[in-house]
Amino acid sequence: MDLFHDNPMLQGVRQMLGAFARQMMRPLAIKHDQEESMPWDLMKAAQGVGMSQTAVLDGRRRLTGIDEDPDPTKPRSQARIAVVASEELAWGCAGIALALGGSSLAASPIARMGTAEQKQEFRKLLTGSDAHGHIKIAAMALSEPGTGSDISGLKTTARPDGSYWIIRGSKQWITNGQSASAYVVWAQTDPAAGRAGVRGFLVARDTPGLIPGKKETKLGIRASETAQVHFEDVRVHSDLLLGGAHGGNGPAGGLADTKKMLDATRPAVGAQAVGIARAAYEYLLERVRGGAVHGTPMASHQHIMFELADMHMEIAASRLLVHRAAWMADHHLDNVAEASTAKAHAARTAQYVTSRAMVLLGEDALEPGHPVEKWYRDAKIYDIFEGTGQIQRRIIARQLTGQNPT
Amino acid sequence: MRPVKVMTRPRTARYSYAMEFALDDEQEMIVQTIRRFAERDLRGWAADADRAGAPPERLHSVATELGCFVDAVPAASGGLLDGPYSHTTRALRGFELGRGCAGLAALLETNVEPALAVAAWGTAAAQQAVFASLARGGLASFAHDSRGNLELDEVGGELRVSGKLGPIPALAAASHVLVAARDALFLVATDAIVRQPITPSGWRAGRWATATLEAHRVPAELVLARGEPARAASAEVLSWIRTSLAARAAGVATAAMEHAEAYARDRVQFGQPIGTFEALIRLRDDALTGASAARLMALYAAWAIDTGAATAGDAASRARVHAGDVVARATVDAVQIFGGYGFVNDYPVEKLMRDARAFEALYGDERLGRVLAARAG
Repeated sequence: MDLFHDNPMLQGVRQMLGAFARQMMRPLAIKHDQEESMPWDLMKAAQGVGMSQTAVLDGRRRLTGIDEDPDPTKPRSQARIAVVASEELAWGCAGIALALGGSSLAASPIARMGTAEQKQEFRKLLTGSDAHGHIKIAAMALSEPGTGSDISGLKTTARPDGSYWIIRGSKQWITNGQSASAYVVWAQTDPAAGRAGVRGFLVARDTPGLIPGKKETKLGIRASETAQVHFEDVRVHSDLLLGGAHGGNGPAGGLADTKKMLDATRPAVGAQAVGIARAAYEYLLERVRGGAVHGTPMASHQHIMFELADMHMEIAASRLLVHRAAWMADHHLDNVAEASTAKAHAARTAQYVTSRAMVLLGEDALEPGHPVEKWYRDAKIYDIFEGTGQIQRRIIARQLTGQNPT
Repeated sequence: MRPVKVMTRPRTARYSYAMEFALDDEQEMIVQTIRRFAERDLRGWAADADRAGAPPERLHSVATELGCFVDAVPAASGGLLDGPYSHTTRALRGFELGRGCAGLAALLETNVEPALAVAAWGTAAAQQAVFASLARGGLASFAHDSRGNLELDEVGGELRVSGKLGPIPALAAASHVLVAARDALFLVATDAIVRQPITPSGWRAGRWATATLEAHRVPAELVLARGEPARAASAEVLSWIRTSLAARAAGVATAAMEHAEAYARDRVQFGQPIGTFEALIRLRDDALTGASAARLMALYAAWAIDTGAATAGDAASRARVHAGDVVARATVDAVQIFGGYGFVNDYPVEKLMRDARAFEALYGDERLGRVLAARAG
């Protein structure tokens, strides 16, 4: 468990992104939260520290400058790098972190299932600037209005038409949904095949029939754009079907692969929640150090300090769970239950810490633009997206008994 | 075997009348009226008022007709109060208003503490100033220096106050603010101070403000009490507002689950309405259990205040502690039941989650207050 020691590579990632979060993200966080705007300039600048929109395609090299050992039997480091990086960035601002990393949701399936040509096409679609002069970003479109937790009931269809597919349907809660230049959209290609028929397509923004819908006004993570996307008979060449024409339920392509991908990203999502919790805890601790209640130091009150101790315990536990799940992923171990445990625990910790911190800070935390109030709003999504708390518990329960409790 | 003898005891007044849950006719009428108003008007206005950060213009005229704003102002001074004020009726009303919209409810309830305090302890001049303003449709607000941050000085027999008031609701629109500080209960006329109107995340329509006082002179006629009498008076005022907050918080928690339950009936995932999953039944049930308890605790505290029971202050404080926990949990869980839809403001519950915070944070952390009071012995 090299996360416990001074692993120089992970230390380096932590220091670099910690500094980036403190210097570049924190000063912008409240502004983008209040304006509900994307941090376009920062997204451009972040490319300079390895956070390009296609970074996932570059693997470990993106942050460390070193490639993974190609020997598949050796442990990787991707998952551990991801959790260390995610905690630091979310500590800066979870909304901005998601804006910086939103394209990776689309890049991940391309990296995992895409052919060399599809990877090339994806890079091409994200090169240069869009019509607004912004850097180009990507979106993954999976969820639908009727399909939130239960992703097996997708209504979006793709039907073959010669060497093309015609995609029809609407997608909901799509990160970067309105501004993306490239989309990875999941559609049912063969209703009779059920889940195995669900396949991913790479679709360029300017493809006729692809219509970005309403941008959502959200409770939190407001620097990250969330929108509906409509596909009205969008014609896509079969070369852009991820995993290739015969992917089916095989090793590449298909919903099973997507679910594996969600399993793989869960520790990093949990790490973001840890980052939010840590941010609120540190803020509170700082206030407590200098604060007084009716003339007595806040730090002399058990009422306050024991709550801080509780927060400290929960954050430490969440971080260990997250790190264990990432370590297992890097060591090619089945971490399904551990990843869900980590994600659900971290989500709960982030909600608990931000909520209690607000109470302990009193009326001050009600001021507009108060960071802890923002973190309280940001924290909630971690119990909802990437598998709700209930879905994580369902996964854990299934691992315990083999059954799906209802 | 000897037959079991059933002991019977004559019912005495002491046992039969000590607990009365039925409403009287007037209360029943008020509850029905306010419930209709909350469900039809307040809920209808809530989303727009939240986005705009301001109440609808009609709020004042409609609510005044229903008896809000001047219910605690004596009839002789242009109000509706004839006889003792009923905190029980207020708690019943507060629950319904909370079900409607917490931000608008804050405005509808804001005049009660200043009006009752001025009636109880105010000089004739203070009564005249405050009642005249409220009778004209004005608002008054309440601030509590829960952490002892205000500096109070006596200069030439005159009270001078420095420090920050708020953030508190209604201050931006109020003519007076009643301040409960260490050893002093007094009024500040807002035309004599500089206020910063703000729009927080929750209760956004509540006309919030902060104000920074710099050696603010409090005229003698606006000082309601000093020293020990001020501490006793402040404790009483706090018991009123805590009870009202608890009742409203119970209403918000209840509303959150009403919305969630309706949604969960229609939303199908994994082949069944999500409201039939045991985990979500638990969330709803725990929230409604908590909300029922919070409502009863608020009503008990109100009854204790109305009957002059010695337990009133403690009951109000406990009601507020519990209601704060309940509304925080219930609104978060309502968002959880809505899932992704709960996180976007096309649906009502994310607003409720933002609204929940003020119930715990306003006028101080209730648990901390209890701890400090217990240690002070």
